[in-house]
Amino acid sequence: MKVVRVSLILLFLLGVFWFLNLLVSPKYIESLVEGSMISEYYDSPKNHEVLFIGDCEVYANFSPMVFYEEEGISSYIRGSSQQLIWQSYGILKETLKYEIPKVVIFNVNAMRYSKPVSEAYNRLTIDKMKWSKEKVEMIFSSMTEEESFLSYVFPILRYHSRIFELSEEDFTYLFQRRQNTFNGFLINQNIKGVESLPTKRPLTETRFADITYEYLDKIRELCEENNIQLVLIKAPSLYPYWYTEYDEQIKEYASKYGLDYYNFLENILEIGLDYHVDTYDGGLHLNLHGATKLSKYFAPILKEKYSLTDYRDHEEINAYYQKELEKYYREIGRGV
Amino acid sequence: MKKVFILGIICLFFLVGCGQETIQTEEKYSFSYNNMEFVLGDVFTREKFGTEIEYSEVASCAFEGLDKTFKYEHYEITTYPDGEDDRIYSIYLLDDTVPTKEGVKITDDVSKMTEIYGNDYTQQGESYLYSKNNTTIQFYTSNGVIIGIEYSIVMDN
Repeated sequence: MKVVRVSLILLFLLGVFWFLNLLVSPKYIESLVEGSMISEYYDSPKNHEVLFIGDCEVYANFSPMVFYEEEGISSYIRGSSQQLIWQSYGILKETLKYEIPKVVIFNVNAMRYSKPVSEAYNRLTIDKMKWSKEKVEMIFSSMTEEESFLSYVFPILRYHSRIFELSEEDFTYLFQRRQNTFNGFLINQNIKGVESLPTKRPLTETRFADITYEYLDKIRELCEENNIQLVLIKAPSLYPYWYTEYDEQIKEYASKYGLDYYNFLENILEIGLDYHVDTYDGGLHLNLHGATKLSKYFAPILKEKYSLTDYRDHEEINAYYQKELEKYYREIGRGV
Repeated sequence: MKKVFILGIICLFFLVGCGQETIQTEEKYSFSYNNMEFVLGDVFTREKFGTEIEYSEVASCAFEGLDKTFKYEHYEITTYPDGEDDRIYSIYLLDDTVPTKEGVKITDDVSKMTEIYGNDYTQQGESYLYSKNNTTIQFYTSNGVIIGIEYSIVMDN
């Protein structure tokens, strides 16, 4: 009888502990929505021929809805803020458990970062990932000195002070999620044109760090093993500066391994980008208008070069995209 | 009496130690120009530093707040948000008319830099970084000649 009582008390305490962990964890639904993007993928139908991985330069600059509307391409963006290359590798590995796309597109901006940048960005990418071997590896490779693995397992260790700052969002989304993106694309319709940019600093290191090459190799090898075409891109963000020395190294790497590399900074005129109106933050990210232009430019290239399927003829997938497109245009009309 | 003496000596050591530490923590890299003192981490206002000739804002990927850059004729100040204030994050010198407080300027060679700042630097490619109490001064060089100088504050993540 005593054993039962003790067990019940223990069970109750465990339940309270679990609930508190859930309660204090940031929900990333109404504020810092960038933190929910990685997990939105789990709810999406797994029918993608194209997968984007990388930092904010993918989730802000490319619209899968436009890809579909223009060429019937089914794609998903698993991007997150300041996604580091070892995180992109982990996300790719995890995604391959769910589906094998035909093409993986990696935005090479992350090559400039050879070590974890900040805990805040790590959290946005990792916190809401499902538990897996990849998540554990990613935590260990991403942690800054101040972070601990246990705080990812038990968020209360990190977020206990939030208990005094809980908002309505914390209760509303305690047991539910809301879609904030369209296949990983985060809409931003604001306009803040480029007026001027900070002075370009001389490069301190002209060669990318070995660790970034190591992970680029891993991404490439993983794609090869799964018969996936890896494509490298550099989104047309004007800042942080993409140095010629960086570009040359990527061109060299792409040529060595027979990969395609698209540096969209070289195609600004053809794309029709106008940085006075097509960016929401002075040249770092494109707004909806700019992303639409870039996606319309890239869609036929993708379709033709990689012989992608036109899913507009596929009943089930088309029905999904038509529903999403309806929501997409409703969202745009509303002015997000 | 002997015990009191030893205790006194120990206290003296502690006091001297504390005093030295206080002096050290106050030593930071800072820049001055036209009788204006630019201290990293201080609140930036146009009233104090004048109106810039160019202004740009850089947002972070997800978080609120803007890093602002104020470009003047000979230097560029970048600030970081701290509540309602903007604090000086970095000062980037743009030409050879503005030397550092210690007397090194763009176009000087690396030997002058080491003569004045010493050899306790971290080298990354062709740049040299000196650190002092959460502030840094970085010399960007090319072929042994200084082509850029930047003061920065070390921020916690």
